[in-house]
Amino acid sequence: MNIVACVKQVPDTEALIKVKPDGSGIEEGGIKWVMNPYDEFGVEEALKLKEKLGGEVTVVSVGPARTMETIRTALAMGAEKGIHIDDPALYNADAYTTANALAAAIKEIPYDIIFCGQRAIDGDMGQVGSILAELLDIPQCTIVTKLDVGDGKATAVKPIEGAQLVLETSLPCVITAQKGLNEPRYASLPGIMKAKKKPVDVKNAAALGISVEPKAKIEKMTPPPARPPGKIIEGEDPAAKAAEVIRLLREEAKVI
Amino acid sequence: MAETFISERNLKFLLYEVFTITDLTGYPYYEDHSQEVFDMVLDAAMKLSKDLLLPVFEEMDKNQPEFVDGQIKVHPRVGEFMRAAGEGGWINANYSYDAGGQQLPLTVTLAAHFIFSAANYSASVYPLLTSGAARLIESFGTEEMKEKYFARMFSGEWQGTMAMTEPQAGSSLSDITTLAEPTDNGYYNMKGQKIFISAADHDGVDNVIHLMLAKIKDAPPGVRGISLFVVPKQRIDENGKLEFNDVHVSGIYHKLGYRGSPIVQLSLGDNGDCRGYLVGEPHKGLTYMFQLMNEARIDVGLGAAAIASAAYYAALEYTRVRPQGRRLTDKDPTLPQVPIIEHADVKRMLLFQRSIIEGSLSLLFQCSQYADYEKVLTGEERKRYSLLLDLLTPVAKSYPSEMAILSVSQGLQCLGGYGYCDEFPLEQYYRDVRIHPIHEGTTGIHGITLLGRNITMQKGRAYKVYLEEVHKTIQSAGEYPALQSQTRELGEALDVLNDVTQHLVGFAQEGKVGLFLADSTLYLELFGIICVAWQWLKQAITIRKALEHNLSGAEADFYNGKNYAFRYFFDYELPKISGLAKTLKKSSGITLAMTDHLFTD
Ligand SMILES: Cc1cc2nc3c(=O)[nH]c(=O)nc-3n(C[C@H](O)[C@H](O)[C@H](O)COP(=O)(O)OP(=O)(O)OC[C@H]3O[C@@H](n4cnc5c(N)ncnc54)[C@H](O)[C@@H]3O)c2cc1C
Repeated sequence: MNIVACVKQVPDTEALIKVKPDGSGIEEGGIKWVMNPYDEFGVEEALKLKEKLGGEVTVVSVGPARTMETIRTALAMGAEKGIHIDDPALYNADAYTTANALAAAIKEIPYDIIFCGQRAIDGDMGQVGSILAELLDIPQCTIVTKLDVGDGKATAVKPIEGAQLVLETSLPCVITAQKGLNEPRYASLPGIMKAKKKPVDVKNAAALGISVEPKAKIEKMTPPPARPPGKIIEGEDPAAKAAEVIRLLREEAKVI
Repeated sequence: MAETFISERNLKFLLYEVFTITDLTGYPYYEDHSQEVFDMVLDAAMKLSKDLLLPVFEEMDKNQPEFVDGQIKVHPRVGEFMRAAGEGGWINANYSYDAGGQQLPLTVTLAAHFIFSAANYSASVYPLLTSGAARLIESFGTEEMKEKYFARMFSGEWQGTMAMTEPQAGSSLSDITTLAEPTDNGYYNMKGQKIFISAADHDGVDNVIHLMLAKIKDAPPGVRGISLFVVPKQRIDENGKLEFNDVHVSGIYHKLGYRGSPIVQLSLGDNGDCRGYLVGEPHKGLTYMFQLMNEARIDVGLGAAAIASAAYYAALEYTRVRPQGRRLTDKDPTLPQVPIIEHADVKRMLLFQRSIIEGSLSLLFQCSQYADYEKVLTGEERKRYSLLLDLLTPVAKSYPSEMAILSVSQGLQCLGGYGYCDEFPLEQYYRDVRIHPIHEGTTGIHGITLLGRNITMQKGRAYKVYLEEVHKTIQSAGEYPALQSQTRELGEALDVLNDVTQHLVGFAQEGKVGLFLADSTLYLELFGIICVAWQWLKQAITIRKALEHNLSGAEADFYNGKNYAFRYFFDYELPKISGLAKTLKKSSGITLAMTDHLFTD
């Protein structure tokens, strides 16, 4: 089975994010970069599937040179090879342009199933997996928490409010992974040593023959406004204090 | 609880910039490695620590191991972590490929241990102990032993221990009495008691393999009569099945801190059926064990620095958010209070911690770097590194162990009353860190080793080589005008060290052993401070080189912050040698003169 896992490198959830003074993006200095946690579920599911049905896992990522660390991490977890799409015009690309680059690279290799994270924790767009499926003209199951693959089809469970959908699709297809799908394994030391020797193809936009013209552009980034200070209601009488809380909720906060 | 427990930036600074460990990859033994590999190793250690170790840091303290129905029960995470360490290849990471390892340099292995230990010291020791025990089998055991034990020790299914201490023999191991009686069947019948043995029994593993010191019947007295044995809790019978080897748990100790890991009392051969298998040659046990202990001692120093690091970050977080008092220059009581990190005395406490932690860590990596080069070099060069490692091991064990207590204490002090309460982790760190001057040889014993053995060994050759190394750093630092005063101060400190050393060795030459060694703990302290000053000057050279570039943002902050920690050490810590030197030179002998009955009232 030919399995593809798309991964993105994102700032660690603990990283202190600062917006650049000109609002064009975030300050990258001093940030620790990690594999997008939802992509980890995708990689893990890809590896489990390979272990069950045989085959190969290829990881694909779009990003600058440092993205190689994330590709190597997936290789250390057990993937066989990598494709690194590295082109300055694609750094911070919008969801469409990113999906388009991924689609172009994936089209060049055989694939039966493609895993993405259901969203990336940096931009929080949640679109790349879906656009990728559209561009490849294959079915998609999104936000998946359970997956079975066999007999040329995939059965996926997707939680919705108060229920869960059980979806069945033919292959090839795109699956976007949600927390709960599995417990991602840790990169082992032997895995890390082997990862170094696994092949990674580095390609730019020209090699893929794609347009890098964005469909959406980030005009400006601004940090959320600082939270106004809290208010302490003074007084001895609990009933009067409660009444004051209700008055403030009504008149100032306008929430009741 | 603070999310940050170590500085990855500082680890990488030490590994790549100060000790340039990627140079090792030029030697065939390490040629498969690269900075990329090392970075991934550190990342993997961070991930394991955050997922498995940190979340149960407090829990493992609150629910300490208990002795129930003949077995020690530990926190369930212990077994999970052992298995994860096994699957991840951590237990034999720095073993050779032949032994199934990854030939990881010791320095990188230690960097990973530092991460694990800072996240949760108690949990971190289980795989380490196994790794150490297996090392003895690797170095001195038979092929058959390796075959029998390696796979399941390295997979984390079996625990390894170092079983030396007995009720009457702690510091003085020559007094052990555990007896090994030879049989005609190739094994020895073991009988005796062991106490304080770390992880010597627990339900997180399927079996325990003790690497145990004992005396063969009719062996010569003293250290020359001690041999090393493999004594499994369950031995493997002819059919490959496990069968009980008459190793009984007779008790568990409840400790001040470091509570997630049990220390156990063992009774061997109660039913006359405890088999031990001799490792290496008879009567060489202590020599073998010392090889392992030297590595373990560096790990102890590292554990101390790691706990201090976690305490520092918890204290730092608090000092940034705790408003209290106003600046000395602000007279207006209606002004809002400032975060306490604004107060000079609080910054002094934080700088003290950093100067201790980062200075210690540098010394520990210095030692592991010697060990890494020892492995790939030959002839005179190799001898040089072996000597340095031998000389500095007691210092690398004791300085961090003693100073981390003071460091964590200052961390706790940063939190005022809250530091003393269990809502914050500082009180636990304070209890946890207290172990380090005790196990793997007390500070007192290491003082005697440093002065009584290491300084004078091979006619003072190790000491001479050490001075040459420090002088090299002094010379390089001399090229930087900004380092002028510290360079001079380290040179002067070496003069003090030489003066004191000659004075004390003089007693030895006159046969006055009492005066020679009475204050060897103070000598160790003096030696340690100068040694860490050397390490700080070494770091300062790297800091200077970096600051020559036009840095900004987080990078500029990193080097500037480190530079303050460096200056702090020279201004506040190094001067402490004067008082020590004065006492040592005086050699008043009062600790020799004072007698037992005079202590009574
Ligand atoms: C948490 C913990 C874990 C341990 N783990 C292990 C383990 O895994 N395996 C193992 O074998 N042991 C282990 N030990 C035992 C440890 O190594 C001993 O406790 C230590 O070596 C000291 O021995 P002791 O307790 O008998 O103290 P003692 O030797 O009685 O020492 C008491 C005091 O006297 C001083 N002293 C003793 N002799 C001299 C001397 N000749 N000159 C000057 N001063 C002296 C010491 O410095 C110390 O301050 C552990 C202990 C603890 C607390």
